[in-house]
Amino acid sequence: MKRDGGASHDSSDDDGAPDEVTFEDSKATALRSAREAAQAAKREKERFKEWRRKRQQFFLEQKKKRLLPEDVLEEIGDFPVQKLEVSEGGDEQAVGVKAKPSAGVKRAKVRRLQANCSVMRAKDQDEAASRQQAAVDFIQARLYGPGSRRMTNNQLLSIKSKRAVHKGAAVQFMNKSKGAELRAKAEKCNKRWIHKKKLI
Amino acid sequence: MGEFTVHRVRFFHYMPSGICAMAFNRRTERLAVARTDGSVELYSRTDHFFQEKVVPGRQQRSIQALCWVGKRLFGAGLSGEIAEFDLDNLRLKFSQDAYGGPIWSIVCNPQGTHLAAGCEDGTVKLFEILEDQIRFERNMGGQKGRIISLAWHSSGTKIAAGMIDMIKVFDLDSGNAVQRLLVERGSRMQQSQECVVWSVLFLSDIIVSGDSAGKVKMWDVNTGTLIKNHQVTEWDVLTLSVSQDETSLFAGTSEGTVVQFQLLDVVLGQEEKEWVRTRTFKNHTHDVIALAEADTVIISGGMDTQLVVRPLLDKLDFKSRDSSLLKILFPQRSLVSCAKKAGLLLFQYPTHLELWRLGDTEGHGPPGCILPVSRNPEKLLHLKIKGEDHVCCSAVAPCGEWIAYSTTSGIRLYRLQRDNKNVSITKVPKLPKVLRHAHQLCFSPDSSHLYGTTSSAVHVVALTSAGCKFEHSLKPKSGSTHPVRLLAVSSDGKFLASANSNSEIHIYNMHKLKAHCTVPVYRSGVSAMGIHPETNNLVIVHADHQIFEFSIEQMQYTDWSRRVQKEGLHHVWLERDTPVINVTFNPQNPNHVILHDSYMFCIIDQSLPLPDRKSQFHNQLTLKSLPEAERLKHSHAFKECKLYQPLLCVDMLENQSLVVVERPLLDITTNLPAPVRQKKFAT
Repeated sequence: MKRDGGASHDSSDDDGAPDEVTFEDSKATALRSAREAAQAAKREKERFKEWRRKRQQFFLEQKKKRLLPEDVLEEIGDFPVQKLEVSEGGDEQAVGVKAKPSAGVKRAKVRRLQANCSVMRAKDQDEAASRQQAAVDFIQARLYGPGSRRMTNNQLLSIKSKRAVHKGAAVQFMNKSKGAELRAKAEKCNKRWIHKKKLI
Repeated sequence: MGEFTVHRVRFFHYMPSGICAMAFNRRTERLAVARTDGSVELYSRTDHFFQEKVVPGRQQRSIQALCWVGKRLFGAGLSGEIAEFDLDNLRLKFSQDAYGGPIWSIVCNPQGTHLAAGCEDGTVKLFEILEDQIRFERNMGGQKGRIISLAWHSSGTKIAAGMIDMIKVFDLDSGNAVQRLLVERGSRMQQSQECVVWSVLFLSDIIVSGDSAGKVKMWDVNTGTLIKNHQVTEWDVLTLSVSQDETSLFAGTSEGTVVQFQLLDVVLGQEEKEWVRTRTFKNHTHDVIALAEADTVIISGGMDTQLVVRPLLDKLDFKSRDSSLLKILFPQRSLVSCAKKAGLLLFQYPTHLELWRLGDTEGHGPPGCILPVSRNPEKLLHLKIKGEDHVCCSAVAPCGEWIAYSTTSGIRLYRLQRDNKNVSITKVPKLPKVLRHAHQLCFSPDSSHLYGTTSSAVHVVALTSAGCKFEHSLKPKSGSTHPVRLLAVSSDGKFLASANSNSEIHIYNMHKLKAHCTVPVYRSGVSAMGIHPETNNLVIVHADHQIFEFSIEQMQYTDWSRRVQKEGLHHVWLERDTPVINVTFNPQNPNHVILHDSYMFCIIDQSLPLPDRKSQFHNQLTLKSLPEAERLKHSHAFKECKLYQPLLCVDMLENQSLVVVERPLLDITTNLPAPVRQKKFAT
């Protein structure tokens, strides 16, 4: 019901005289906005084009700047003349020639890398380490985790000394360096017991 | 016996690491033992489990399984790599990633052509064994759930894989799982916890599994049904081992027990046989992680770091040295080097070195009393090792000015300068390239040379205040490739003796830089040797406790040595189970030779007669009760002292005082991982 009512209301709005003006207006605004959007896109495109062109130019200039002046190149040696001619043709070749004077430096870099290093992806390394850690944790949890019913080494030694042929006290009392807190606890307990029984 | 001022050293906190895997090679009779620090030790069964070789460990390397293929040893661990060990150079030959996550187990097939690795991602990866590498062949399985244990059937066509809550049997022809045996979880408390099949064995007609519910189960191979279920322990059954003839079976548990099962007749004289639990051995206080069966003995090792060799008395016919229990806890090589002139001790830990200056005393007192210390021992240096490899050998020069150590990846030499209070250390650059790593290092007595060995060759490096210079390489003429195990230098610096793991001893003349002679090879390994400072006689002690004295200058055995061989040593001495680690000499009395093993040190007086077979060996108390005049008549050459135990080093300083380095067992035990809880009545 409600929806029907809503629909009828809309249709009545379209039929109304002032609506035509609004339609014209809205049409005009829509057209204007579309035009503006198209213009903005075009501007953007041009701006990008301009930026790219500038960058290209900058690179070219930079390349030229890096290249030694031609007379210097010619002076370096007679034999690279042929190569130089080729180099002038393509940019990539120019890079190759340019690398020539600094070849010593480059080779040294490579040598240092290969002396006692090997290349591997850091990502794999992390993953392997985490998997190894997970496996170690699994063993740890199964053998020493909750519910594994373990005791401490001190307790084991205490049992041994209490059941030996010559019976002795627990380890924390035999060896002063071990089980300091256990000894403190026992002392406290003793005091409490004495107090409770009113022995002193 | 003589009186000495004794430095009783207890500040070497040596801590052995737990045993995590073992493999016994029946053909060569060698036992390989892997420890949690990644090192692998090789013991010779024929030589009373003498430790022949040690491959040093590495950080992050954890070995879960070892496997012999012929004479080659493979290992794999949680780092996910399968590695082969180079037993001549004592390092890794190669390691290859299996790309399946951590590896829990490797086995080789009975033909010795393939390796199978059980991986974390649930696959069994097959590798073909080639001449000097392994090549991946194919995957089997590939579902979720890690594969903890593997066993190969003797026909080579089936593999059993122990997983979580189940065992799968793979067929090698098709590569598919043909059987899936479900393992029940533990009772009550452990119901919610999944059951891990820690170990599985594939006998000819049954599969045996040991799991975290503490059960040893036997399954029928053909039908996949459970035949027998033995509740062995309330904790985990961690490892299983079977004898070669498949009639007896061993299970190692978290409780530290080793349980034996035997295939016995149900009714005497009838064909029908059944697996019956027969014996329980308890020689460990902590978890038993690895087991190996070697015909007449069962070898077990675990978290309590000791290797226990238990003889199976039903397989032995007569009493011998083999029929007694053997426990190996301490290393059978020296981890302490002593600068005799400077009174310094260098302790070798896996990842660092410590240099200590011994204390001093000015007091005097009757024998047996404790003297007041006027200067406390002082830790001069704590040197951390660079890189991930562990130290394999180290040495300090007698003058205390040089320290050298070696790992499998490199060797480093440091120069130490000591003022009154300051200690400064500088690394010596540009060590010769031939000396990339060393198995043994030692300095000449005048500290002018460093001797290092790689496999069988000895390299000589001259040391000066400006640096070091390579001088010469000496190689044995026999061309053997066995690694050098021991080095000994004479005190005049003229002779150097090197003993390799094949018990060959080569003697070099260091003044001429030439090979001098070789000592005849004895069947047992050389456990210790030393050159007498005055006579230049080489005293050699073998793993079976035979003692030889070889005159280097005359190139023959001495008269004393011939007398020892003719009369024979006392049986009490020959039955000792720990090999002698070190030989030193008493500078004041040239007749005295001081030997020590882990539990005693002994002074041999060469001027006294040897004990005959019937006489009392430990006669010191008896001699004390006799009057002076009669003592000499009853005394013999061997004087033992068990006052200090367990020993890691005994050495003689130049000022006539004795250094004993002790490591109390209690300190080792308290640093071990937690044992299982026991309840004993009235404790």
